[in-house]
Amino acid sequence: MRVPGISAAPSREWALGGATGAGIRVALVDSGVDVTHPAVTGLVGPAVTFSWDMEAEAVDRVEGPHDDVFGHGTACAGIIRAVAPECEISSVRVLGSRLTGRGEVFAEGLRWAVESGAQVVNLSLSTGKPDFYGLFHEIADRAHHAGVVLVCAMNNVPAPTYPSEYASVISVAATDPSEDDVPLLCAARPPADFGAPGIDVSVAWAGGATMVMTGNSFAAPYVSGLVARLLSKHPGLRPYEVKSVLRAIATNAGA
Amino acid sequence: MATSEELLAELGQLAGVVGPVFAPSGSRELLLSLTETARRLFGAAACSIALLDEETDELVYTTAAGAGAEDVTGMRLPASQGVAGFVVQSGQAVAATDLGRDPRFARDVAESTGYLPQAILAVPVSSPRRMIGVLSLLDRDASRPGAERDMEMASVFAEQAALAIEGSAAFADLGRALLAQLAAAAAEGSTLAATASAAAEAAGPADADLAAVAALLAELGRSGPRERRLAVRVLQEFLTYSGGRSPRPAR
Repeated sequence: MRVPGISAAPSREWALGGATGAGIRVALVDSGVDVTHPAVTGLVGPAVTFSWDMEAEAVDRVEGPHDDVFGHGTACAGIIRAVAPECEISSVRVLGSRLTGRGEVFAEGLRWAVESGAQVVNLSLSTGKPDFYGLFHEIADRAHHAGVVLVCAMNNVPAPTYPSEYASVISVAATDPSEDDVPLLCAARPPADFGAPGIDVSVAWAGGATMVMTGNSFAAPYVSGLVARLLSKHPGLRPYEVKSVLRAIATNAGA
Repeated sequence: MATSEELLAELGQLAGVVGPVFAPSGSRELLLSLTETARRLFGAAACSIALLDEETDELVYTTAAGAGAEDVTGMRLPASQGVAGFVVQSGQAVAATDLGRDPRFARDVAESTGYLPQAILAVPVSSPRRMIGVLSLLDRDASRPGAERDMEMASVFAEQAALAIEGSAAFADLGRALLAQLAAAAAEGSTLAATASAAAEAAGPADADLAAVAALLAELGRSGPRERRLAVRVLQEFLTYSGGRSPRPAR
């Protein structure tokens, strides 16, 4: 498979060989990260917390270290770290406060992540509210044009969810772990782009624990890690080229 | 013998009292049957539905079947903790095994119900309008054939629960709106007006759009049968049209 701007069909060696993610920042929009967890420690970028201010009826932003409310962000950070050991991980906490204003908090966190200087943004969450369709579309398009790769977990729910269904993002569903050293699959049908390990995977959790978990939300950070590695070796790639390269190096490429 | 106005007043009072009791949790029997069916189908020890209370930011376990069901029903937990909390906040389905290794989960939930699960599968219950809550399966039989599609299948159950809850809520809202209209239509100061108005107020504020729908329906009731049939056909056509459109709300 040929990729625009790339002279030969990309191989795994060309794409990832020797790449560690060094020099690439992944913004993790989630429940916060426990940076003291042994699976996470390493290069940790800026941390910021978004929540809903009930009195002002507006989104509140606080910069500075935070912990992980649920353990999920730590799990995702651990996965990214395992795939791209030398990338920088920046934590954007949007989960954990009240459910009121959730969509607005989520959107502002995502907007901040896209504009933060990170080359990759990992989103293991979504909304199904049609009210947010336009807002998230605008942010996803802005990321695409700025060359920021948005990696989103697909949702199992039968109704549409945003921004995981937009063509401008890389959407990921969970598959069984495989023997392949790059266990990435091209998805059979849209809107999912790829399948990555997310079934019964061992993940880091809050409080230094390790859990065995299943969900599309654990498959997305695997792909974010791969993208960080790819971009650390080929920094000029645009999001659509990244997608093409991932497709070319998938286990079932050409299938 | 009671006059028709007195009868209507009684009806209004009854609707005001009974409506809120049944409305917020949807059709209780249907949801109970749904959790029991899911529990059996997935070979799970327990299945529950928790609804999000936005006022207190808690998950309220309204329906449960199986182990610990009696203790689980009525239980309230903060929506900012645990696997179920993560699911309603993120909108993502999640399954976890070896729960005993997450000390917080074991303490918070298991000790209050007397049942210590090893595995949980939790999926969001939501409608396009709002996040409603979470459906959880505890210790399902993961060795059964087809268990790899459990998350997808559980999401179908969650969608059914969402339809039941939203349908019931819409019906209750419409009922409130009708009561408000009834009060407005009745003569000022009459027993009927006072009763209906009080019932509508007690039941909480009606949605403005639904109130308008109720007003139109009340007006339609005064027109002839042919006009009513035509109006129903127009409404059905409109719903078919709007159901087929993809959501592209204006900002």
